Amino acid sequence: MSKLNLDRRHLLRVGAVSTAVSMSGWMGELARATEEKKIKPKRSCILLWMNGGPSSIDLWDLKVGHENGGPYKEIEAAPDLKIGEHLPKLAKHGKNLAVLRGMSTKEGDHARGTYLMRTGQLPGFAGIQYPSIGSLISKELGDPKAELPNFISVAPQRFFSAEAFGPGFLGPVHAPLIVGDGQFNNNIPAANIDAVLKVADLDRPKAIDEMTAAARLDMLREMQEDFATKRPGAIAKSHAAAYDRAIRLMQSEGGKVFDLTTETDATRDKYGRNLFGQGCLLARRLVEKNVPFVEVTLGNWDTHGNNFDLVKNLCGTLDAAWSALMDDLKDRGLLETTTIVWAGEFGRTPKINQGKGRDHYPNAWSTVIAGGGVKGGQAAGKTSKDGTTVEERVTPTVDFLATVCSALGIDFEKQNMSNVGRPIRIVEKGAKPVAEVLA
Amino acid sequence: MSTRLRVAAFLAALVFPALSYGAEPAPAPTPKPAKDPADALAAVIDKHLAADWEARGLIPAETTDDAEFVRRVYLDIIGRAPKASEAREFIEDKSADKRAKLVDYLLKMPGHANYFAAVTRAQWLPQTTTNFQLAQFGGQFESYLRTQFRENAPVDQVVKRIVTVGITVNTQNPMFRFVQATGGDPEGQQIVGFYSANEGRPENVGSAVSRLFLGMKLECAQCHDHPFAPYTRDQFWQFAAFFAEMNPLNGARPGFVGPIQPQSDRNRIGVMGTDRKVTATFFDGSNPEWSLDKNPRQELATWLVDAKNPFFAKNMANRMWAHFFGIGIVDPVDEPGENNPASHPELLKDLGKTFAENGFDNQMLIRAITRSKAYQLTSKMTHPGQADARRFAKMSLKGLTPSQLFDTMVAATGFREPSYMRNQQNFGFVQPNNPRSQFLTRFASNERTTEANTTILQALMLMNGAFIGDQTDLAKSELLAAIVDRPGWDTKQRVTNLFLTAFARNPTPEELEKFTSYVDRGGAKNDKKLALADVFWVLLNSPEFLFNH
Repeated sequence: MSKLNLDRRHLLRVGAVSTAVSMSGWMGELARATEEKKIKPKRSCILLWMNGGPSSIDLWDLKVGHENGGPYKEIEAAPDLKIGEHLPKLAKHGKNLAVLRGMSTKEGDHARGTYLMRTGQLPGFAGIQYPSIGSLISKELGDPKAELPNFISVAPQRFFSAEAFGPGFLGPVHAPLIVGDGQFNNNIPAANIDAVLKVADLDRPKAIDEMTAAARLDMLREMQEDFATKRPGAIAKSHAAAYDRAIRLMQSEGGKVFDLTTETDATRDKYGRNLFGQGCLLARRLVEKNVPFVEVTLGNWDTHGNNFDLVKNLCGTLDAAWSALMDDLKDRGLLETTTIVWAGEFGRTPKINQGKGRDHYPNAWSTVIAGGGVKGGQAAGKTSKDGTTVEERVTPTVDFLATVCSALGIDFEKQNMSNVGRPIRIVEKGAKPVAEVLA
Repeated sequence: MSTRLRVAAFLAALVFPALSYGAEPAPAPTPKPAKDPADALAAVIDKHLAADWEARGLIPAETTDDAEFVRRVYLDIIGRAPKASEAREFIEDKSADKRAKLVDYLLKMPGHANYFAAVTRAQWLPQTTTNFQLAQFGGQFESYLRTQFRENAPVDQVVKRIVTVGITVNTQNPMFRFVQATGGDPEGQQIVGFYSANEGRPENVGSAVSRLFLGMKLECAQCHDHPFAPYTRDQFWQFAAFFAEMNPLNGARPGFVGPIQPQSDRNRIGVMGTDRKVTATFFDGSNPEWSLDKNPRQELATWLVDAKNPFFAKNMANRMWAHFFGIGIVDPVDEPGENNPASHPELLKDLGKTFAENGFDNQMLIRAITRSKAYQLTSKMTHPGQADARRFAKMSLKGLTPSQLFDTMVAATGFREPSYMRNQQNFGFVQPNNPRSQFLTRFASNERTTEANTTILQALMLMNGAFIGDQTDLAKSELLAAIVDRPGWDTKQRVTNLFLTAFARNPTPEELEKFTSYVDRGGAKNDKKLALADVFWVLLNSPEFLFNH
């Protein structure tokens, strides 16, 4: 059924009613009907977060033939896009990928870079608590009453900057539901992955049966109501609401989305039997349930030594998981409404150090944006032959974030009220999205 | 006393208050000084607030009962709720001045210095609680603060010491400036954590000093003139210039023979993004009379804590007020400018003045605040006008810090926590078998305490998590089992003790009736003991347990 049909029917209905009401009422309805026409389909964002500073020069912007290039070759992902040879499966989705080769950001320290890339702000000590991009986006796209939380962070490695993963001044309502918190690296034994990728404490303790649980909750509700009557206010309300949502999650179908064992072995194998791979599979399941923002972390990118072996290995994990994700989203008709973002806290030095490693380098590097709202098959921006400077389309962090928001149909200049009592834009004033990659 | 006996006495003290009360050494009767400045200040607070309520036609809430007071004051002064025995001891005490006496007692407990050091460190160096690379510096500095709170060191002297400590800045590493104390000064070695946590940068240290000690957050003036307050970018850098010695020195050193300025470049700093340099200048536009024997930080410290400085005393008093009420008289406590006026300017003036006149005695200020009528109002709302937290016409509900919550869990459940678990700090790492680590991570928050929100994961942890699961399990629990198995008690006594344990109060007659009948019915499983576990679970999940009211 086309949208037009729906609209016409709606207008007919409105028209029929209008004969009985005043003209101004009719106009009002018409205006609302036009508004409704603008309602966009559900949108989601999956952030693939590369903890440690990924060597983007070896994945997205190779310098083949230059001494900074290293041993890797290029492969064609689209007529106008070549990428690193260790992402062959992903290359098949090249027409959906847009590489931002002009990234030039301000922080080369893990903690500060993480904070900058995930909030768009330099960490100002004890100043304003900025929300992470996941909180900002899920607030815009999410339904506050949804059964599942609107921002889910899968197995994050938060040790560089816990703040960069938080809701900041938006408050805990917009905090991520973290699945598998407290990870140090990617290396969880395959047998433990299913246990890690579950919502913590979602299941009732085994010793407590349903009758007991129900009796307890009845008594608790009375205590909550009594407290809220005597001491009304936001704290009491939030306590009751969190318990209600937690209980709904425990009892609902929604909670089952975290059970990866319902997927076939073939599917699970395709994503890779590792934390990131299964995390991407979970992300797909969550997006199917309309969760607007999911992030999955792949760490161990801090390749100061032996860069090329390590990156090849990481690419294997990344390639399988990301390409499987693209396949599945496409099969389900979700690729048009799901924007996939690949980024880390900074890139790595074009110059190869004596230990065959690459060090921290925020001055010239790449991120990737794919799927919904994105004009793929291209790279925007250009770095110099040696990879050390950006020659075209310098893209600071705020431009990157504005591009992501724009691909998702979010007005990135919209303001939220901050903890210091003044409104703050989703992305700082002056940000310019990279227009050429927007569909 | 043998070890076994001591352990038995400890366990008994958890449950049976009489033993603990008797064991308490009777304090020697000290003659009361003729005029207690805390009483005088409490009366001033009462006078100002009463006048405000009167002018607005506000009816304040009722005065707290002893139970609400004892829980509140334990949480606010030592960072945990009282144990059942402590609560009962206080509630049953018949003396008229027992509230003031309890405050005096709590101020002497080691828990007070520990809690205030932790809270102050989190407030002064928040970056050290979230950034693991900076965490060690926060720990260093917290040790210093702990000693100061234990000795009730005057705040002006503490601040002066922090601002003037001898420092050596390692500027070799472009990524990070490590700061050490000069001359092997062990106390200095703790204090420099403040500088390292601010990355050894004049602009960071300067804005921290301005924010913390003057109540003026100037960060946004770092890059442009302050949009909402009369502070310019140059003023920001002029203030940062007091710490310019942390930057590598250019040119000749001070004292070098020749016609150079006494401070050389130690009091000058470049304005970020320009070619201009500015000289250290106070906010009022005046400069110190530079001399060779005083460095810029010494000049700043003298000005900072000077009685004529209108900001310092008021700011420090306001921060203490905000600790006890959850909201400052100026709030946020560090936003300068006309957009953020004080709710009670005269009260704040008197607080600052009295604080300074009494030698910046923290404990005097705490005594005064906790003796005030406003602090001793219930958090139960009896009139809609009390909803405005800034009128202090009822006590605001406050969220617990993660440590406060877990320490309260420990007190309420009798959990015997090994010291290695206690020493766990929250850096986003979770130690799987350490409940403190799990609570600190799950309950980490940067919200204002009066707006504490509960998350889904927090609710799940409290309902289904292993810690409360164990503590409400008859076989694994510590305190619950003692209450359930205590010979000679009827159900009412058991329920009453669970209430005292979790809420520091006796149940109301209705609550007693409801829960006793649930237990006597055998609860959901026709088992009275399991039903008592259900009651304990309900209490530990209740907002009355999870918040400071």
